[in-house]
Amino acid sequence: MSLPAWWTIDPNQPFTLGPRQFPGRIWTASGCFAYGLTGHDMKSAGFASPYQGIGAVVTKTVTPEPRPGNPMPRLAETGHGAINSIGLENVGFEAFLAETLPALEELGVPTVVSLAATRPDEFGDMAGMLHEKAAGFIHWHGVEVNLSCPNVAEGGHDFGRDPATVAACVSAARRNLPDRALLAKLTPNVADIAELATAASEAGADAVSAINTVIGLEVDLETGRPVLPRRFGGYSGPAIRPIALAKVDEIVTRSGVPVVAVGGIENYRDALKFFALGAVAVQVGTAQMRDPFAAARIARDLTPGQQG
Amino acid sequence: MVDPEIRPAVHCDGVVVSNEPVSSGLIRIDLEMDQPISFQPGQFAMLNLAGSASLVFSRPFSIFEADGRRMSFLYRVVGSGTRSMDALTAGDTMTFLGPLGRPFPEPEAGQSVVLIAGGVGLPPLAAWLAHHNENSGVEINAFFGARDGADVPWGLLKDRWDVSVDSPRDIPEGRLAWEGRVTDLAASREDLREGRDRMVLACGPTPLLKAAARFAEERGWDCWLSLEEHMGCGYGVCKGCVVPVHDPDNGPDALRNATCCEEGPVFNAAVLAWERPRGPQ
Repeated sequence: MSLPAWWTIDPNQPFTLGPRQFPGRIWTASGCFAYGLTGHDMKSAGFASPYQGIGAVVTKTVTPEPRPGNPMPRLAETGHGAINSIGLENVGFEAFLAETLPALEELGVPTVVSLAATRPDEFGDMAGMLHEKAAGFIHWHGVEVNLSCPNVAEGGHDFGRDPATVAACVSAARRNLPDRALLAKLTPNVADIAELATAASEAGADAVSAINTVIGLEVDLETGRPVLPRRFGGYSGPAIRPIALAKVDEIVTRSGVPVVAVGGIENYRDALKFFALGAVAVQVGTAQMRDPFAAARIARDLTPGQQG
Repeated sequence: MVDPEIRPAVHCDGVVVSNEPVSSGLIRIDLEMDQPISFQPGQFAMLNLAGSASLVFSRPFSIFEADGRRMSFLYRVVGSGTRSMDALTAGDTMTFLGPLGRPFPEPEAGQSVVLIAGGVGLPPLAAWLAHHNENSGVEINAFFGARDGADVPWGLLKDRWDVSVDSPRDIPEGRLAWEGRVTDLAASREDLREGRDRMVLACGPTPLLKAAARFAEERGWDCWLSLEEHMGCGYGVCKGCVVPVHDPDNGPDALRNATCCEEGPVFNAAVLAWERPRGPQ
């Protein structure tokens, strides 16, 4: 298949989102590419690095305090998808600010910082510290507030379901983030996702990322018990792509809020479907775990004349 | 967190050359890669079972052999991934990401080495042995444990391994196998009783790893274990394969999660927190 006639965008050209210009429209999704590959070296024929053509790496979600994450097993592969319950294991905001973000800046990796918190004002505090500490960083483009990670028992899950709470988190972050893009990552586990997008936009978000994982559960037939110790996890992978397409369509047509689409994108054809619905950019998640060059490949394949 | 001398991981395609059983439980798959890959024994690769679109994750396999563009792996059919792999035939394509993870360490000068492998734990130690031939100057004792004689890949072991079996059935004519646990076989050996410094390298099921660690500890020897864990990405980004390890920097009782794929799969036995085998609760 060649690129369709309606596809006239070069995803490797800069585009504007809120107060920032991003270097491209193919991003990696939070949780599936850590904090980039600091400390790693990876090669694949035809690519200078796994970052080639990537418009932004959305970091693994950072929380105010370090988190050890959930007990193992943390992953349950199901047909055409997988359920994860990592539990937001992360280095904590202090170490992220002191070490991780400067390392990404030095590598020149375009970065969006994913944040989660337990109270709306914590989003504001973290955004403020980022604004202060990373004011001179040229590769740090924005913040994605994670309102919907379904695998943290005490955390984001409830934030993401209520438009007023979404607005409170977004506006807290916006107040302290004057010159970077602000995105709200929305959960699909609600009846009306467009309502959440509108709430986020009115509170100051430049775009929404949609969708986060779908709540899922897998049962081990040998034991008769859920595979994951916390029973539920976040379902991702190609199986959720039709759900993501439907939710993105709802947001675009009913709220008009710019959408960075995410959900089951494995190749350039999948990405094109979201662009066809009006997404301004896309994120590659689970596919990035299998192939560190998945997003780079999609960016290349969506460039006219460059298909691999 | 990766040693500087470890080579970059390569993502490329490999074409199946052969995919044949080498014992009742083990299958050897040979791939012709589109470029030469070098590795250090103990490192692994993520193989993506192309042709089975329902599998979203690749699977980790210790590298058994690599010779130019040819790479070999041994596996046992245990789940949907390896079942799909077993169905591959010559000419099918897999994608490869590797080499990944930390290898086994090299022995210090004058240090002897004891290899203890169980079942599908053979590949990384067989790779280690192949890199240390009879002329390497390192004294090596290699022990391999299997369920029974049919489960032993006799043709691959040649005469460098001493074999133990849980059950003495199906031992081929002219082959020797000791009945019992492989760590007990190692412990029974007179020539391992002298007090010289040795290093134990082990790979196999968890009971074997624990027994190997105990065997080494009782003798005051260093012990390195290659762990097997379900993995999502294999390169440190998803945090889906953590193992609890001691964290002395944060106190004598402190634990932290180490990624099996990036900080392992080879760990010093002393850092592993066996009492917490499944991560912080």
